Amino acid sequence: MLQAETVQLLCLTAASGVPLFSRGSSKQLPFSVIGSLNGVHMFGAGQGALLSSCETERGSRVVWRVFQDSLMLIAVSGSGNNAVSKLHLHRLLENTWNCMVLVLGQDELANMRNVERLKRELRSCYRLIDRLLERRGEDQGFMGDLTHCADCLLPSHPAILQQALDSFTQAANSEFGCLLIQGRVALATEKWWRLAPQEVVLLSILVNLLSGVTSCDYPVFLPQGSPTVAHRLLCFQLLPSAFVCVLCGPSPSLHHVESELVGCFWSPVVETLRGCLEQGERSPLPPSVSLRWDVQALLLINRETRRSVGACPRARSHPSSEAQPLSSPGRRWELLRHFYTFAVTRYFTSEEASTSPDSSTSATAHESLHEEFSGGFTHQPVQCYLVTDECKCYGLQTPQHQLYLLTDLSVPTFALRSVATHTLNAVTATTGF
Amino acid sequence: MAAPVPPGSIIVADWHRSPESREFFKKILHKKKRREFGLLETPVMPPHLKADTVRYKVFISGKSGVGKTALAARLAGHHIPNLHYETTGLETSVVFWPVKLRENCRVLFFHFQLWDCGENAMRRFDHMLPSCKEQVDAILFLFSFTDHGSFEDISNQMSRITDPSDRVVRFVVGTKFDLFMHTDVTESEITRFQEVWGVPVFRVGGDVSGGFGEIAPLLNALAENLWHQDCVHASSASLPHVCHPEDTSREVIV
Ligand SMILES: Nc1nc2c(ncn2[C@@H]2O[C@H](COP(=O)(O)OP(=O)(O)OP(=O)(O)O)[C@@H](O)[C@H]2O)c(=O)[nH]1
Ligand SMILES: [Mg+2]
Repeated sequence: MLQAETVQLLCLTAASGVPLFSRGSSKQLPFSVIGSLNGVHMFGAGQGALLSSCETERGSRVVWRVFQDSLMLIAVSGSGNNAVSKLHLHRLLENTWNCMVLVLGQDELANMRNVERLKRELRSCYRLIDRLLERRGEDQGFMGDLTHCADCLLPSHPAILQQALDSFTQAANSEFGCLLIQGRVALATEKWWRLAPQEVVLLSILVNLLSGVTSCDYPVFLPQGSPTVAHRLLCFQLLPSAFVCVLCGPSPSLHHVESELVGCFWSPVVETLRGCLEQGERSPLPPSVSLRWDVQALLLINRETRRSVGACPRARSHPSSEAQPLSSPGRRWELLRHFYTFAVTRYFTSEEASTSPDSSTSATAHESLHEEFSGGFTHQPVQCYLVTDECKCYGLQTPQHQLYLLTDLSVPTFALRSVATHTLNAVTATTGF
Repeated sequence: MAAPVPPGSIIVADWHRSPESREFFKKILHKKKRREFGLLETPVMPPHLKADTVRYKVFISGKSGVGKTALAARLAGHHIPNLHYETTGLETSVVFWPVKLRENCRVLFFHFQLWDCGENAMRRFDHMLPSCKEQVDAILFLFSFTDHGSFEDISNQMSRITDPSDRVVRFVVGTKFDLFMHTDVTESEITRFQEVWGVPVFRVGGDVSGGFGEIAPLLNALAENLWHQDCVHASSASLPHVCHPEDTSREVIV
């Protein structure tokens, strides 16, 4: 239907199947196909069956989901060997819905009064939706859209910046504040971390869209926390690629915060901020963490706090002549995404389910995400590995963490486990992550 | 509202072309592109070329799709989006612009903060317009040469948003002038508009070659009229001596 790796996203009214928008691949699906995709879902519903996904012989996938009994989102992926995973498509629908709520609020979407009007209003979501479809952050290692954990950066000396952030946030009459460095959450106030993980991810994506913007005042509805009442997201670019954000009510005004508070709270720590940016240029992990030279990339998730930190060394720490050449960071991030998907859909399945916001609808959606892991076993796998012709992958799960690791082929398979354990300890012991 | 001053009467016209301005313009460039400044940064000159910074708030007003976000990007030297994505809130961007005063040959960095609010967001959320108007120094009213309706709307907007007693510099900017083949607005209409309203009309559009030539007329005119407005105000408030409006609250603390 579509070219490999392209995804098309459709939005229709759930009750009558009126198309509201279509984004994604430049070649649109013919209207008849859209009609059939809607029709087959409706037919299932009529028979008491919920159609959630299907796959064609050539690897093309379709996933459906109805939100708030009012709108249906359908994602269709192209065929080819590099097929888009079902997990990715399910996440895409969820993220798209959340974007729509973020911009327009749930009332606008759930209580549709006038279809033409809604169509017009939905245009304001295109920028965010297109960003999700472009998947531009992927080769820089942004994974929050997939993991629903905030992509973080761990600063070497957080205390002084944390203090600045806390007092700045308070001065802006808010409890929700966050500092983003190169698009990653470097620090946040306690309350910011209590937002739903998807919201933290979505707000980061929104701020990362602000190229060239010095400050902004965006009305945002929080998909879980406040879907019907808008808050104001104020962001300030302190230095290029360093943004501080606060979530406020009706006051204070953007002008006030910018002219009275920004300089007062952030000028004194500007050098620390610069240091943080320099660190971020190299890695989201602080330099005190030393990784083994044969580690190619890693993703570490804190399961309790729903935060994640990734690393993808630019070069070998100990250049050695036998070592296989490192592939591009973009490629390694891609492999890590694949491995994450592989692990959470087959083995670490509880993880997958626990990240869902509304359990009623997602339970059904998620059951189908899990590939069968030897039916009949009652235990939870805690480790898994995969050997490819490019690298070896190891996944490790503890009550607190999940680690996904890519290593050189030269690491003996029997040693992967100890490399992974060692790496997990190295990061958590140094950073307290 | 002061009447507009003729170009080149207060500041040195086309100063960006003169060799002596190079050191100053270099400060707003980085690798041949415009340098991006965070809120904690300003251009820093060596001591013998010290230049003060004066700050002004400029609000960009106009219907959805006329090109507000594109104009802000053009003036700030950022990438201009090809697609129209509605701005779903209020965004500001900063332009530093060095200017030489004719009177005393002083060089100043004008710090324009451009306020761009998506029209639909402004309609949906009540606090946007007051926020844009709070302590505003200049307003650019935009219309598009390809949309006659947006031109007709300008007079409404000007009377709705501003009051003759406001201390605000007002300019009209016609966007998409590069699409002159499809133009909907004639020269005579523009001439008549300028006569009736006494507000200058600027034309922008087309590809950006990266030079300062295409943005200099608008930025210089803004600088000149804002400076003039402050001088008029300072003298009418009968402050001692002539005009040093930058001595008041506008000085940047570096
Ligand atoms: N050819 C040409 N196109 C332009 C020009 N200015 C803007 N555009 C295009 O017009 C469209 C709308 O421009 P925007 O700047 O996004 O519109 P806006 O006024 O910010 O609209 P809202 O945010 O919805 O209020 C975009 O596709 C721009 O590329 C111009 O000078 N010439
Ligand atoms: Mg805009």
